Amino acid sequence: MFRNITIGQYVPGDSAIHKLDPRVKIIITFIFIIAIFFINKFSGYIFAMLYLWLVIRISKIPFSYVLKGLRPVIVILLLTVSLNMFFTPGGTVLYTLGPLKITSAGLKFAVFMGLRLIFLIIGTSLLTLTTSPISLTDGIEHILKPFSKIGVPAHELAMMMTIALRFIPTLIEEAEKIMKAQMARGADFESGNIVNRARGLVPLLVPLFISAFRRADELAIAMESRCYRGGHNRTRMKKLEVHTRDYAALFITGVIVVLIVWNRSWAW
Amino acid sequence: MAFIIRAQNVSFCYSEGESKSPPVLKDINLQFEKGEFIGIIGHNGSGKSTLAKHFNALLLPTKGNVYVKDMDTKDAKHLWDIRQTAGLVFQNPDNQIVAAIVEEDVAFGPENLGIPPEEIRKRVEYALKAVGMWEYKDFPPHMLSGGQKQRVAIAGIIAMKPECIVLDEPTAMLDPIGRREVISTIKKLNKEEGITVILITHFMEEVVDADRVIVMDDGKVVLDGTPKEVFKEVEVLKKIGLDVPQVTELAHQLRKEGIDIPSDILTIEEMVEFICR
Ligand SMILES: Nc1ncnc2c1ncn2[C@@H]1O[C@H](COP(=O)(O)OP(=O)(O)OP(=O)(O)O)[C@@H](O)[C@H]1O
Ligand SMILES: [Mg+2]
Repeated sequence: MFRNITIGQYVPGDSAIHKLDPRVKIIITFIFIIAIFFINKFSGYIFAMLYLWLVIRISKIPFSYVLKGLRPVIVILLLTVSLNMFFTPGGTVLYTLGPLKITSAGLKFAVFMGLRLIFLIIGTSLLTLTTSPISLTDGIEHILKPFSKIGVPAHELAMMMTIALRFIPTLIEEAEKIMKAQMARGADFESGNIVNRARGLVPLLVPLFISAFRRADELAIAMESRCYRGGHNRTRMKKLEVHTRDYAALFITGVIVVLIVWNRSWAW
Repeated sequence: MAFIIRAQNVSFCYSEGESKSPPVLKDINLQFEKGEFIGIIGHNGSGKSTLAKHFNALLLPTKGNVYVKDMDTKDAKHLWDIRQTAGLVFQNPDNQIVAAIVEEDVAFGPENLGIPPEEIRKRVEYALKAVGMWEYKDFPPHMLSGGQKQRVAIAGIIAMKPECIVLDEPTAMLDPIGRREVISTIKKLNKEEGITVILITHFMEEVVDADRVIVMDDGKVVLDGTPKEVFKEVEVLKKIGLDVPQVTELAHQLRKEGIDIPSDILTIEEMVEFICR
């Protein structure tokens, strides 16, 4: 039941995209997201599409895998598209369905919004597909570090994420063990309506929480005895280094952004 | 003689003041020499873990003093030196591994000490090789066996270059194979790297070839000597609810039956040698 939960959806690999500095990847993703919002006509999406196609090809991640990232948001996607389609006024009426009218402007806008969402999701999921949660954490810590002067707890956030990544598999294993033990005593986690099933989870969650707190307590003592005293004066074994490929990636992204912005003033 | 750890008249209560609890440690005096392999045994609740936590200033004595290399554990300015000198390994390997990758976990201690990255790399390699886990450096901890996890935890301490490691029942949650891995790793570190080892355990077999065995009962040290001197006292050990190594027990029974056999036989080899003479 818990086995198929994966953290993030990282696909290990050694492509140039995988090897990019996580900081650079995070920044590029942000730039791409913002650029998407600058697109004001369909032709602009050609550049974004070209860019994503290039990234996917280099990263060697199968297209089907990338598209799978859309599945969890398909409902939101359909909802957005249909709302925009039915409730955007203007243009010629193409189709009437009772009180609902599909107008040419509505259709155009709906497709436009749909594309925007799809590009956003694919863009961000490419980040998590090609970056291990650990280097993602490192990247976030390094990006936030300059802001720690104004009170952003960069080190603490990164430490929390690290510990979460470390303990999620352990807690999943433990949950399975507790479940098996409860099932051996006749507990039923799989049948009944939703209320009964939720109630059935109580004997699973209570011991899990108790044990998680005990673990936290022991971990804190172990960390302290390994001289942990927060982020102050702490060094890191892994240094993040910016290579030529990182500059190349930034450059290509820059070109795409320039094209997208320039595209705004085109006639079509 | 240079003592690595000294406990002088140490008493300890978990809570003081109004709701004063009974003392868990009662007037303990101990001195450990550099390079020694010391076993501490005692039944549940005898205060072993509490004592271990005094050795790296996780707990401070209510009365008396603990010195690590002549640094008083009550002196806050030595806190980090003390914790770096005397490392502590706990029972549950799962709850002392911090990072999601083996080598990053081993780096955790040195990173906290503010050591430069190149030096940390060297130390991580040295520590993982010392415990025989170098091939697993890129593994996530949850893919390792209990014994392997515990060896990673030991490497995490070794990477801080301690002079002394205190292990609080490091094998209690392991299967026999894991137990053997961990114990032989500890022995190797003691012999080859000259690290002082203080091993707290419930398994008598693990301390029969220690330099010194300390028996605790109800917060006091009741026996302190070489394994032969200690395990000879079968009656004392039984009275406080401890087992002796199986072979020693056998020799003891044989003696009671009137057979002339030394009372300080600890291992099967010694027994075989005696019988075949
Ligand atoms: N955090 C605590 N607060 C209050 N009392 C405690 C605490 N930890 C331990 N004690 C008490 O101190 C006594 C000694 O405990 P300690 O854990 O040192 O024994 P131990 O010899 O390590 O036992 P075990 O073999 O079970 O690990 C016990 O009576 C215990 O109840
Ligand atoms: Mg204990």
